[in-house]
Amino acid sequence: MTDVHTPQDQAAAKGEETRSFGTTGTGPDATGADAGTGPGAETGQTAGWLRWGWRQLTSMRTALVLLFLLALGSVPGSVLPQQGADPAAVTQYYASHPALAPWLNHLGLFNVFAAPWFAAIYLLLFTSLVGCVVPRTFRLAGSARTPPPRAPRNLARLPHSASFPSALAPAAAIEKASSVLGGQRFRLRRPAPGDTGHWVSAEKGYLREAGNLVFHLALLGVLVSIAVGGLFGYKADKLLVEGQGFSDTRSALDEYNPGRLVTDSDLAPFSLTLNRFSASYITSGQSSGQPSSFNAYVSYTASPGAPAKTYNIRINDPLSVDSLKVYLIGHGYAPVFRVTGPHGNVVYDEATPFIPANTGTFLSDGVVKASDGSLGFMGVFVPTAVSVNGVLESVFPADDFPAVSLIGYSGNLGMNSGVPQSVYQLDTTGMTKVSGSPHLMLPGQTWTLPGGKGAITFVGVKQWVSLAITYDPGQVPALVCGILALAGLLLSFLVRRRRVFVRAVPAASGTGSVVTVGGLARTDASGSFEDEFAELSAELAAGTGSAGADQQKSEPNNQSEAGA
Amino acid sequence: MFRAKRRTVVSVAAVAAVLLVAALVITLTQGSGQASGVTYVGGNNNQIVYAAGHRAVAPDFTGTSLTGAPIRLASYRGKVVVLNFWGSWCPPCRAEAPTLAVLAEQYKSQGVSFLGDDVGDTTTNALAFTHDSGITYPSVNDPGYAVVQDFSRVVAVSDTPTTVVIDRTGHIAGLVIGEITYQAMTTILHDVAAN
Repeated sequence: MTDVHTPQDQAAAKGEETRSFGTTGTGPDATGADAGTGPGAETGQTAGWLRWGWRQLTSMRTALVLLFLLALGSVPGSVLPQQGADPAAVTQYYASHPALAPWLNHLGLFNVFAAPWFAAIYLLLFTSLVGCVVPRTFRLAGSARTPPPRAPRNLARLPHSASFPSALAPAAAIEKASSVLGGQRFRLRRPAPGDTGHWVSAEKGYLREAGNLVFHLALLGVLVSIAVGGLFGYKADKLLVEGQGFSDTRSALDEYNPGRLVTDSDLAPFSLTLNRFSASYITSGQSSGQPSSFNAYVSYTASPGAPAKTYNIRINDPLSVDSLKVYLIGHGYAPVFRVTGPHGNVVYDEATPFIPANTGTFLSDGVVKASDGSLGFMGVFVPTAVSVNGVLESVFPADDFPAVSLIGYSGNLGMNSGVPQSVYQLDTTGMTKVSGSPHLMLPGQTWTLPGGKGAITFVGVKQWVSLAITYDPGQVPALVCGILALAGLLLSFLVRRRRVFVRAVPAASGTGSVVTVGGLARTDASGSFEDEFAELSAELAAGTGSAGADQQKSEPNNQSEAGA
Repeated sequence: MFRAKRRTVVSVAAVAAVLLVAALVITLTQGSGQASGVTYVGGNNNQIVYAAGHRAVAPDFTGTSLTGAPIRLASYRGKVVVLNFWGSWCPPCRAEAPTLAVLAEQYKSQGVSFLGDDVGDTTTNALAFTHDSGITYPSVNDPGYAVVQDFSRVVAVSDTPTTVVIDRTGHIAGLVIGEITYQAMTTILHDVAAN
């Protein structure tokens, strides 16, 4: 590094890089308030670099770069299979790209949203946003509390001004004017003791600053809500066959993605049983076979010992229990099989979830693992069976004419070795086929395997549902903060900050006084301050006992911000 | 101008690098603290022994065994209970079962009772397995993980299998998450059964 520059240089160069959120331009953008105050001596060197680094981080440009990186970083999350969403697809990717996959894994690309580099991006973005918003919040809070400035000497120079004689003495006229302005909810400032002259400064439209402040605070609130959701929330999936239940505990869940600060004992202690699932499909017309409704009838208890309640979970109608939500996200068929082993005893009797290979017709794949009878089966299930040139196909998603086609294997399933395996895959390494061709079965039928190896009965069909359990404590606060941010923004756009000054000097005639009113709108896009000012000065004239206002309007270009 | 740009790039990268390192350090150091009264058998975080005075009360439960007999944890008070959460569908459970059968026989005379909690299973599948693997002690029929839920509020029954050792006063004295080993179980039981 040959071009090391002192932090002072940097500070001066980068001072303009503060950014503005929301409202246009008028806010007290104390731009580079600390820009010029670079460290002078050796001791200040580190502090200077730190300050410079902080200014870099909280600059608009860095935030935009980080936002872009965040978007860019999410791309592999949607292009590559993800461990959390679809572990099977990751395994498949490993099989088809044996050289590339380990490298991608090293980079965390199979679990992008949990990768440290991804966390680094969003933590940096978070820091950048907070670092920008917090100082602005303080500035706005200060600005919302500032009293109006002292009245300028020459009010006639203000964009709007009027002058009229009053019968009252200057002090009394100002007193009257104050009560008129005060009655209109202006914030007032009178001369301090010892000040000369009779004047009152009035300012209105502090709601603009308040709105701006609310917007910034709400923005912080949104960030905090998202962080809270990420730290304390969790997401989980569970597959349930009709008649089965589960308790919300880590080992019962198929997929479990807890937030950083969630411990196992934080899980809501509810339990839920799927009593029945029904899906209806359109039976005629062009959209025949399209689903028309899904109903998952469940019973649940919010905590052990609590009274059981029932609910019908539908798409977009989740069950709310104990501040978490249970969504219906998938369904399928679970043919019930009973397997008899070689010794004649029943070794397997279970509704076995099959996974849809075709979500239009619900042709599904699955395996039966009767390890204690040394038997395994790979199967295809079809809810409405037809034979297309001797191949089993499904023509409709409802179980109108269910059938299964099984390939039987006998031998060691490898389940006693302790190595975990997928419940949807059969490891046939130590097994042999019991017959050459697949065996077709209808409900109630039994297939007696050759060679006295046992038998399998296709007892019937049940359905399963896949449930997503989500707990996001940041969701409601994020929504509230979002609404507040919008409201604050609207307020800061709609409310104008405007100032009115009144000065009274003794009249040349000796009795009464001459009252001058000056007005200034700090942002006047709509131009309606003119009318407001005219009305106000008329009221002031009436209030201070004058015959009529001799108003002098000035040009609408209010380039002078004299009182500001 | 190009120098200025390069400077900016270098500086942003430097700030990013510092914060990345900080984020990594935070990530890696999380949850590495060790609670007092806890020792790990063989330095394995999944084989935990709680010292007396640091033991949580085991939640009582009532249930039905796979063969239909009532089971209540409280009726085992005065004995050491080895409670194994398992399922016939779970390969590590199947692998550890013969070891549990041996341990049950070995510790019978020392007042140690073995008890299973069969989760996510059907009774037919479970009984076919216990018959094959020589397990003679009873198991609670718990297809919906109700007992697991109760226990996981006290100790980390976070996986199937998990084995919990309960002392004679009904407190949880040890825990093995995942497949047990003969070594780890005898280490824990030697301690708990002696007292």
